[in-house]
Amino acid sequence: MKKVALTGIGIVAPPGIGKEGFWQSIKQGKSFISPITRFDASLYPSQVAGQVEDLDTSYLSFRLLKKIDKFSVMALVATEHALKDALIDLDKEDPYNIGVFLGNALGGWLYAETELRDLYVEGREGVSPYLASAWFPAAPQGQISIYYGMKGYSKTVVADKASALMAIGYAAQVVGNKKLGIALAGGTEAPVTPYALLCCSTEGSLSKGPYRPFDKERDGFVVGEGAGLVVLEEMESARKRGATVYGLITGYATCCDGTHRITPDPNGKGLAKAIKTALDMAGYQPSDIDYICADGTGTKLGDVSETKAIKEVFGSYAQKIPVSSPKSMFGHLLGASNAVDVIVTLLAMQEGIVPPTINYQTEDPECDLDYVPNNSRPKEIDRALILARGRGGINAVLAIERS
Amino acid sequence: MEEVEEKIKGLLMKSLDMKPEEVTLEANLKDDLEMDSLEMVELEVALEKEFNIDIKKGEISNKNCVGDVVKTVQDKLKQ
Repeated sequence: MKKVALTGIGIVAPPGIGKEGFWQSIKQGKSFISPITRFDASLYPSQVAGQVEDLDTSYLSFRLLKKIDKFSVMALVATEHALKDALIDLDKEDPYNIGVFLGNALGGWLYAETELRDLYVEGREGVSPYLASAWFPAAPQGQISIYYGMKGYSKTVVADKASALMAIGYAAQVVGNKKLGIALAGGTEAPVTPYALLCCSTEGSLSKGPYRPFDKERDGFVVGEGAGLVVLEEMESARKRGATVYGLITGYATCCDGTHRITPDPNGKGLAKAIKTALDMAGYQPSDIDYICADGTGTKLGDVSETKAIKEVFGSYAQKIPVSSPKSMFGHLLGASNAVDVIVTLLAMQEGIVPPTINYQTEDPECDLDYVPNNSRPKEIDRALILARGRGGINAVLAIERS
Repeated sequence: MEEVEEKIKGLLMKSLDMKPEEVTLEANLKDDLEMDSLEMVELEVALEKEFNIDIKKGEISNKNCVGDVVKTVQDKLKQ
């Protein structure tokens, strides 16, 4: 696979908006999960979430904001940050040479739920005409394309919790194959709504909090909302503009377990296969890997099978690799989560600090890797893997290295 | 009837986030105010609620100017 440069970061997440504030918070290893205040969650088994408040949207018009869901708003703000960070002047770029690749799992339910209530209470005429264009998973891709005039090859990926990593992996292949000069890739998700939270609850994987992946006392994951976008391009074009190259995408693989509609293969065979394929594509030996950003679903089956997959590929070296799940701090952003994982890993590489898995108290004999418990740790990271898993046995793995 | 004109202009200014000098009687809904089909639906529903009238499909379109919409509503109110 041709190496593709990562040159811009845009992040809207509970620990911070913009990469500086976000990274300062992550390094501290604090929790950004709080009681849900947006609606009455008292009847839900899980009443906490990672929430994005105080988002500055003053530069967006009311005419636009009334037509779009929060997941589009967060994606637009993240795009603004990513473009600025990559020093991209859109007036100097061919609009057909820039594409948007976004992951999303749920769609825009904050908007849709309100309108559905109006449909049943007021009838058809009570429903906003903008519902049609606000709720569906590809809406943020369209809104970014319209707002910034980006008209190149683009795609929305809906693959549960692996959506964003698949979008980034897909974008890397498109840029690597020279179909596109610049790709904005990542994901966005706004699951802190009554219906979206209910869907996550009925699956039975939501935690009452705290979110403690790989801990023996785990009870599932906590949802979080946010958006993450990165800019992908060839090294030469980044150099010409003088943009910071945070890292390079060197490998990407995806495969399916084919075992169950919700849960992963208990032995992590599919994930192991995806890890091996990504390593081969990148030309890495297992011992080249300095850090693994894990999915860390926080379910017993998820954590144990993820651990098994890592041990199958890395053997005895698995004990020497820090494997953490930074999302324990701010929640699982579902279809946007891996975009945040990629951003965390790039910033960790830049600063030589491994982010922790927080809320880790009780060791689980079946999860016996170094999960970087509770505190970040100094360590040079030259090569890293990001692991993603979606319901129904979806596996995706991205390999990145320091430039 | 000037009241109708002011109310319609007010609805458009609020809905489109525009200034009084932009929403003139001569302003074309599509070319000047850049209204799309969904914004036309929003306008129709708002007019029906505001004036308690029934607007049938095709009676106003974004090919119209603001003045045309005012006239359509005024005619309906006279009926």
